[in-house]
Amino acid sequence: MNSLAGISHGVQSPAPTIADRSIDDAGKPAAKILIRNLNFYYGDNKALKSINVPLYERKVTAFIGPSGCGKSTLLRILNRIYSLYPHQRAEGDVLLDGANILDPGQDLNLLRARIGMVFQKPTPFPMSIYENIAFGVRLFEKLSRAEIDERVQSALRRAAIWDEVKDKLQANGLSLSGGQQQRLCIARTVALRPEVILLDEPCSALDPISTAKIEELIDELKDDYTIAIVTHNMQQAARVSDYTAFMYLGELVEFDTTSKMFTSPGDRRTQDYITGRFG
Amino acid sequence: MVDMALSANAEASAAAMSRTKVLGRLRARDLVFRHLTRAAAILVLIILSGVIIALIEGSLPALQAFGFDFLLEERWNPVTEKFGALAPIYGTLVTSFIAMLIAVPLGLLIALFLTELCPMWLRRPIGIAIELLAGIPSIIYGIWGLFVFAPFLQRTLQPVLIDWFENVPILSSLFEGPPYGIGILTASLILAIMVLPFVTSISRDVFEAVPPVLKEAAYGVGCTTWEVLRHVVLPYARVGVVGGVMLSLGRALGETMAVTFVIGNAHKVSASILAPGTTISATIANEFTEAVGDLYTSSLIALGLILFVITFIVLAAARLLLLRLEKRVG
Repeated sequence: MNSLAGISHGVQSPAPTIADRSIDDAGKPAAKILIRNLNFYYGDNKALKSINVPLYERKVTAFIGPSGCGKSTLLRILNRIYSLYPHQRAEGDVLLDGANILDPGQDLNLLRARIGMVFQKPTPFPMSIYENIAFGVRLFEKLSRAEIDERVQSALRRAAIWDEVKDKLQANGLSLSGGQQQRLCIARTVALRPEVILLDEPCSALDPISTAKIEELIDELKDDYTIAIVTHNMQQAARVSDYTAFMYLGELVEFDTTSKMFTSPGDRRTQDYITGRFG
Repeated sequence: MVDMALSANAEASAAAMSRTKVLGRLRARDLVFRHLTRAAAILVLIILSGVIIALIEGSLPALQAFGFDFLLEERWNPVTEKFGALAPIYGTLVTSFIAMLIAVPLGLLIALFLTELCPMWLRRPIGIAIELLAGIPSIIYGIWGLFVFAPFLQRTLQPVLIDWFENVPILSSLFEGPPYGIGILTASLILAIMVLPFVTSISRDVFEAVPPVLKEAAYGVGCTTWEVLRHVVLPYARVGVVGGVMLSLGRALGETMAVTFVIGNAHKVSASILAPGTTISATIANEFTEAVGDLYTSSLIALGLILFVITFIVLAAARLLLLRLEKRVG
């Protein structure tokens, strides 16, 4: 409890203290993912500076901050997509259920099946709507035709797109509208039954109606999944998340419950950003 | 006051004048440019129709003399002046087919390696080597094929093929006869080497155009590299790859010099791909200078017309294929 002393309004407390406090606190849920002392480099350029933050199980954690602050970079570390590119490297610990996923021996395919990701732009695969979902499922599970049908249908239902596509499952995924494509991508992620879902500005290319649908969806999904969402939309962060992390210039400035962050943020910079004074 | 107003007025009108002049000049320049581009475009049509008319006119005597049989007859006898185009047509199609059979998978593999798997430092050297391969003049391929490659095949690959397939039913006739070195197979292999850079560099450009985020998404659902390539990169790049293959095929069909050196130039249709044969372009190149008599010359020109038609059909087929692919996607 000692660490609690570090947090008082207006005092900038070091990030580790905040994270530790949250975990120590018995009233808080368990951390599904724990990021400790994480540094990230694009070549020689240090993009993240000793980040410490937990993602609590079955909660939505929003990452906010001005462009280039490292939110998306952080997300890209969590499923190790960055490993596709040489010259990008991470240092520190990212513990998923206690095991460090930055470990070189980590099976990346398995990891990415456990931690699903939805990107800023919709990314349907160049195949039918049905196959877009079934494809990923088949990679990991041997299922009968009926079971796969069932999985496809339930994933599409969960992503609130079933009614719109049920009559054209064989149509190409690219023929859908942008909002539908994005929900298809979420369905694809859900169908794999991951434990964690990462959403990288999932609504930035969508109209308000599609955005509302996806926000509803996030609300439903958090009953089963741990969710991290990067967003530039303050209202969205306030609406959908339980916890909010504010990042600035590669550092984690503040992390707390969303209600606290939006009503009485501890750091001056958080307050300025949330109230629109910069960013 | 009046003076000032006047001078201001004069200044304004001077500015307007000069602006009109500038605009007028720009407009004139626009007009010239438009006519220039149009003339360039029309020139293409004129040249194309000129070639077609010349080919048809030149081949008329032969087509009148032999009729439709010209396409079906194997004989090619300058002494009796009986000509048939079957052997060159057959040779052209078969060599191109075998060449594409080898070059397309190989080129796709190279392109996939270069875009997806190759370490950065190796990318440029291999890429440049491929481009250099495309820059070698075809006569050099011909000389190399005749003096180095054909004897090499004669010693190594051809006897092995003959041995292997000797007792296999159907296939034995594909690989029978003495290993001459030169022949349909050798010409096909040379052609394959020659079109490989085209298949590779076009496929590479197409693969590079696949959005990285799409690949990340595929990796993101847990795909292995192979699965990403097979299910995402290749389908996404399909249209472009087909286009590249057709372009390469067009090149293989028309390639002359290298093929002339190594194909054997025999007006014969034989089942064995080790046997000598000929192609349309090789026949024309070989015999045009010694063609005496109107019918002989006209027959060669008719061969040219046929090659033109075959190439046109290939390009049209490519267009149709692409249209159908696009429709299925769209």
